[in-house]
Amino acid sequence: MNNTVLAVTNVTKVFDEGRERVHVLKGITMDVAAGEVVALEGPSGSGKTTLLSIMGCILTPSSGELHVAGVHVRRADEAALREVRRRSIGLVFQQYNLFPALSALENVEYSLNVRGTRGRAAQDEARRVLDRVGLGDRAGFLPRDLSGGQKQRVAIARALAGSPPVLLADEPTANLDTAVGAQILDLFQELAASERRGVLVVTHDPKVRRIASRVVGIRDGLLVGEGTNAEEAAA
Amino acid sequence: MVSLARKNLFHDRLRFVITVAGVAFAVTLVLVQVGLFMGLLDKSTVTIRHASADLWITSRNTPNVDFARTFPETAVLRARSVPGVVRADNLIVAFMNLQLPNGAAEGTLVYALEDFGAWNLPWTVTHGSPQDLKRGYAILMDRSAERRYGPFAVGEQREILGRRFRIVGATAEAASFTTTPIVFMDYRNAQELQEQLRGNTTYVLVKLAPGADAATVQSELRRRLPYNDVLTRDEWARQSRDYWVKSTGLGMSMGVTVFLGILVGIVIVAQTLYTSAVEHIKEFGTVKAIGGSNLDIYRILGEQALVAAVLGFALGALFSYVARPLMAGIHLNVLLSPGFSAVVFVGTLLMCLGAALFSFRRVATIDPALVFRT
Repeated sequence: MNNTVLAVTNVTKVFDEGRERVHVLKGITMDVAAGEVVALEGPSGSGKTTLLSIMGCILTPSSGELHVAGVHVRRADEAALREVRRRSIGLVFQQYNLFPALSALENVEYSLNVRGTRGRAAQDEARRVLDRVGLGDRAGFLPRDLSGGQKQRVAIARALAGSPPVLLADEPTANLDTAVGAQILDLFQELAASERRGVLVVTHDPKVRRIASRVVGIRDGLLVGEGTNAEEAAA
Repeated sequence: MVSLARKNLFHDRLRFVITVAGVAFAVTLVLVQVGLFMGLLDKSTVTIRHASADLWITSRNTPNVDFARTFPETAVLRARSVPGVVRADNLIVAFMNLQLPNGAAEGTLVYALEDFGAWNLPWTVTHGSPQDLKRGYAILMDRSAERRYGPFAVGEQREILGRRFRIVGATAEAASFTTTPIVFMDYRNAQELQEQLRGNTTYVLVKLAPGADAATVQSELRRRLPYNDVLTRDEWARQSRDYWVKSTGLGMSMGVTVFLGILVGIVIVAQTLYTSAVEHIKEFGTVKAIGGSNLDIYRILGEQALVAAVLGFALGALFSYVARPLMAGIHLNVLLSPGFSAVVFVGTLLMCLGAALFSFRRVATIDPALVFRT
């Protein structure tokens, strides 16, 4: 698939916990194409966050293969994984994980600084993505002065900064009320469609199905079902 | 470029104030304590530095300028005969008892010369003239004596070892390391006061002819005066200073104070930086998750340590320099030199960076996957 921006093939992950070896992922194969939103659903402990961490190059798989934006990510050293994270992956967290001491603009700008963009170019790009998520008028606000929905928009802007082809979101609507959550989901859908990004949303929230191109279920470390729309996945 | 380090530092103002105050306290402690120490040491060599002698001849193994020992005054004749010596004179330095008007007795350090003017002693005369010391039993008394002996006025009389002396003038800044005030009197008068001084002196001051080689003259003097020590001004000052530093334990006590100051600084900075690092652990995890490295986080902690060091040093130095005239008012001489301040500044930077190392160890092990934990 030429369109694929993220793919895992037969990925496993085993954690050593004392004398026990815990098999969290037992051979996962899936992909995300540019322009689509994939919802990854599963109960707590099913392995979805571990899978997300591997796809985000934060964890390395015990076996299997990972491709991000056409790059085959081998069990590489930390520096190589970091480089993939900088260039190709935007992360959105349930708890937003904004830097409390930085304004909305600075949160985005700092992320660009870490990715190697400095000075005026970073400021201009930060303003552009804040405008893109509808928060241009809140650029100077600290996170404590923003609502939950606005914080999540800043987090999305931060993830968008540097134009990574892959967006990974971990329970992005979990801390938001229904209306605000719906706005955030619409934003993901729009970003995928208009900017041709591949978006993977890990969620418990069934409302994510509304915007998902595909819904993938995971249970006990294995994929248990996939559909192209909400009804199929539910079935 | 956005400085997460400074933004975090100023965001948590209370912790920032505590950190800077801790550094400032340590800097003040070190500057003032060492300044007091240097001020004291400065007194131990005050006459050596002001006297215009290039070489000092002392009795063998005299430990410092205040603890003088006698030797035959004829040594001065041999000194005068050495080529390269333009002038040599006897100087008596001796502790003597001075009777106060209220009947009490206090110690005084007597400096006695035949021609004070030739040797720039005393160097600050506030009343009268050293030439008046030739007029019978006369003394110049240092103003610092007022703290020990009570107020005195020119024209009054004081008794030294049973002999009445008239105060013909006053000097300033002439106090020994032990804060004993210095009294200046004529050489022959001093010899009259103590049996052991008759026919004896305690030092010979030597002035070199222009162009004379100090080492050559020193070597010749040693050859001709084998039972004496011959020291340059710098050697003699160093020996006098070293005596007080080493033999009294003053150096060790000062070292302990400086060590404690540095320890206080390190503990405060390390503790506040470490707790700050722990509290911001998720932020550092986020830095890693968005592509930052351990080095990026070390830079944050290092920058915070340096900001605390610079501001803490500035505050501590300000306190110390402001305290100096206040302490001078209670007769404590705090000697602060730009060179020593620069050394303390560099020490402060190293101390704070050293303290930050404790946090480096903690953040090095951050798992970026913690960003997904709630």
